[in-house]
Amino acid sequence: MEIRPILLSMKRNKFLSMVISLQVMMTLTVLSIAVSITVATLSQWNMPSGLDHDNIISVRTQFFDPQVNLQNAIVDDLNRLKQISGVINVTPNKEIPFDAGRPSRVYLDADKDAAGHHTNFFEMDTQGPKVLGLTLIAGRFYRENEIIRGHADEVKASVSVVMLSEDMAKELFGEKSPIGQTLYLSKSSEPAQIIGVYSNFMNGERLNGRGKSYHSVIKPQVTWSSGNNPNYLISVEKGVGSSLFNDIKAALYKTPGRYIYGVELLTRTQKRMYDGRGSNGAILLVISLILVLIAGFGMAGLVSFLITQRQKQIGIRRALGGTKWSVVRYFILENSILTVFGIIPGLLLTFTMALIMAQESGQSFLKMDLVLYCSLFIWAVNTFAVWLPARRAAKVSPAIVTRGM
Amino acid sequence: MFSYNLQLALRSLKQRVQLTILMILAISIGIGLLITVQTMAYQNEKMPLAHKADSIYFVQADNRELGADPIVSQPRMIYLTHRDARNLMTGDTPAKAHTTVWKTDIILNSLDQNIRPFRSRTAVTNHSFFSMFDVPFLYGSPWDNESDNNGAPVIVLTKESNELLFGGENSVGKQLRVNDLSVTVVGVLNDWDLGRRFYDESYSTSRHDTAFISDTFAINNNIMRNERLSCLPQDSSKRGIYRTNDVQGLINSECSFVRLWAQIDSASKAAEYEGYLEQYVMTQKSLGRFPREMNNYVTSLYTMVTLANELRGGRDPLKYIAPLFFFVCLLNAIGLLLAKFMRKSNEVSLRRALGASKSTLMGQYLLEVMLIGFMGGILGCVFAYFGLQGMMRVNVYQSDYTVTLDSLRHAFAMDWIMIGKAFGIAIGSTIVVGLYPIWRIINIPPASQLKSQ
Repeated sequence: MEIRPILLSMKRNKFLSMVISLQVMMTLTVLSIAVSITVATLSQWNMPSGLDHDNIISVRTQFFDPQVNLQNAIVDDLNRLKQISGVINVTPNKEIPFDAGRPSRVYLDADKDAAGHHTNFFEMDTQGPKVLGLTLIAGRFYRENEIIRGHADEVKASVSVVMLSEDMAKELFGEKSPIGQTLYLSKSSEPAQIIGVYSNFMNGERLNGRGKSYHSVIKPQVTWSSGNNPNYLISVEKGVGSSLFNDIKAALYKTPGRYIYGVELLTRTQKRMYDGRGSNGAILLVISLILVLIAGFGMAGLVSFLITQRQKQIGIRRALGGTKWSVVRYFILENSILTVFGIIPGLLLTFTMALIMAQESGQSFLKMDLVLYCSLFIWAVNTFAVWLPARRAAKVSPAIVTRGM
Repeated sequence: MFSYNLQLALRSLKQRVQLTILMILAISIGIGLLITVQTMAYQNEKMPLAHKADSIYFVQADNRELGADPIVSQPRMIYLTHRDARNLMTGDTPAKAHTTVWKTDIILNSLDQNIRPFRSRTAVTNHSFFSMFDVPFLYGSPWDNESDNNGAPVIVLTKESNELLFGGENSVGKQLRVNDLSVTVVGVLNDWDLGRRFYDESYSTSRHDTAFISDTFAINNNIMRNERLSCLPQDSSKRGIYRTNDVQGLINSECSFVRLWAQIDSASKAAEYEGYLEQYVMTQKSLGRFPREMNNYVTSLYTMVTLANELRGGRDPLKYIAPLFFFVCLLNAIGLLLAKFMRKSNEVSLRRALGASKSTLMGQYLLEVMLIGFMGGILGCVFAYFGLQGMMRVNVYQSDYTVTLDSLRHAFAMDWIMIGKAFGIAIGSTIVVGLYPIWRIINIPPASQLKSQ
């Protein structure tokens, strides 16, 4: 119907049509790459922490004086911390939720080629699960006499019992009950017996990246060595959180020869965990949004100009019985054809660019459905950008032709 | 003629001023992002210690076991063992000076507890470090060769740590404790415009070291090695103990963690140094060490930084997105320009009919395009400035405020080179894409548009 005249007019305005199509092509490429990277960056983002992180404080310290008796220091620390009003429970620990270090592996058997399962070990005393507010899903919590205590270099025995997080248990044993099963914490050690399963809590960014945010193992163990800092997790009464920081520092500084790295709420640890990815994603999204806006404004400016140019033709169309809608439709259709001509090479360019980038960074990130949505989005924005000035075109009075300009 | 053209170009820009603004905005936003990204890359790839980059060399040799994976490029190469570094430094070397670097974390504090303990990222090195790398001093001087030999308890602070510990006064001669060891301050650094920290191969632009102590002192007193130790497989389980406790065991082991830098003043001497290193490895082979084939690296700082740039570049998706983004903006501007020019058909054909030559018109429209590019360049620089400020703040936010704005500022600074580049790109690219519309319009036949009116 109208397609032939549109194609003809494009042929007359070859350069302009090409510019519009090229613009669509590039916009699509930038938008799809940016959105794909953002989605990949933000995967496993803002998942439930499984913790009451507003009311748990983590403390990281270090003794720089090798004369300090670490065993006594830990006992003193625990006693002093418990006396602070507002503190509910304290446990010594190594890893901190949201900030767990390099993942370890656990094995179901000690065979030489047994497959390892990634996890983080959390070493705590009996207060640990209470501090974190973990609920028992199966089995039981460990008891005081099951805790291994001692200097890290001298403790030879490995823990005899461990607890697993719900997700960890699922990965290792599926639907079977893990209670009473054994687990090798390293290939060379004696296996430990699994006594309980607790509710999930988040370990940290390193396992987030592998989609294993909740895979953890609790070892009932408190060890110390010089240079290996005693850390503490403290659960506090609701809302008192940051007001206790100074009391906590003062209590810990009572033992001389130590340095305190940081006292913070787990909320802040969680924020830090997400910061890098979050802001990178946000930057890319803002840039793509600006780009779409620029492209849209450019399109609107161009069409509004073309409409002024074509006033006479529009008037003739209207005089010959063209409805207002048919005028608007003409412009939208013209624009849609140009957009499609841009999207097709745009897809090619997107795939090429994504391939180059994937080769450089070693991982592919492009998602087909996202590219499709981006194409639709660009078409929608362009159509809107055309529709605004085209409404004005529709108002051109048929009488304009008869006026003889 | 020029002023006449300028007048016409300005008048033309004022017609349908929204279109002109749209064009300039499109170009400047594109330039803004492009220059933001390029400035960051430019500052990130700047050659540190540029005037000496050809005479400072990094020395590495492969002492690993036979079965280890071969290493074929310098950036993936391991460092030296402590004793190899020491032997190479004390041998009959063609190098003018040597220094070693490894990293530690120490707690600076005072015996009477009047200073809050302060954790310092610290480089462990020798006295040549300061002269080889042109380190500026505010107070005092580096420790001397004698102190290196006897492990004297001395320390060099930076302006930052001196500020925290002594309130910025001249602290030379004052006492301080490193962990539980008393040391004397011998020097305080001035602001050191290092750019990227090359000497520990981290190329970090922030979180600078805040103290320097001597290797002998650190080894004698078992200061913790905050380094990745690459050990033979049978020793890998001992790495934890080697790092914090067993310093003698570490020195006698095959674990490498020491970076060795040599100052070699000419290319022929560098070749000589390679021979010297080869000779050393041969003698060690006869003692049953270095079981693999010879694999040594004597790399100039210049080459090292270039290789590191290649390896690190290309990670940031913005580096790909920014040029495409700019291209879209350019296309956008050019579509508008073409539309604008087409409207002028009447005027142009009239002027042609009245005898204006093609070159006159060409000059006028080229000037108009250049004006757009120029204004895009100005506004683009403004956008880039704000873009860089924004990126800098994002960086501080990402580090959870452990990095200060001041320590980052140099990595996000625009200089005249980048400003020149912004204008070059803005004007150059608008001219290139403007050529076709200009060519179209000046080729309109004289008076062709007049008859229908």
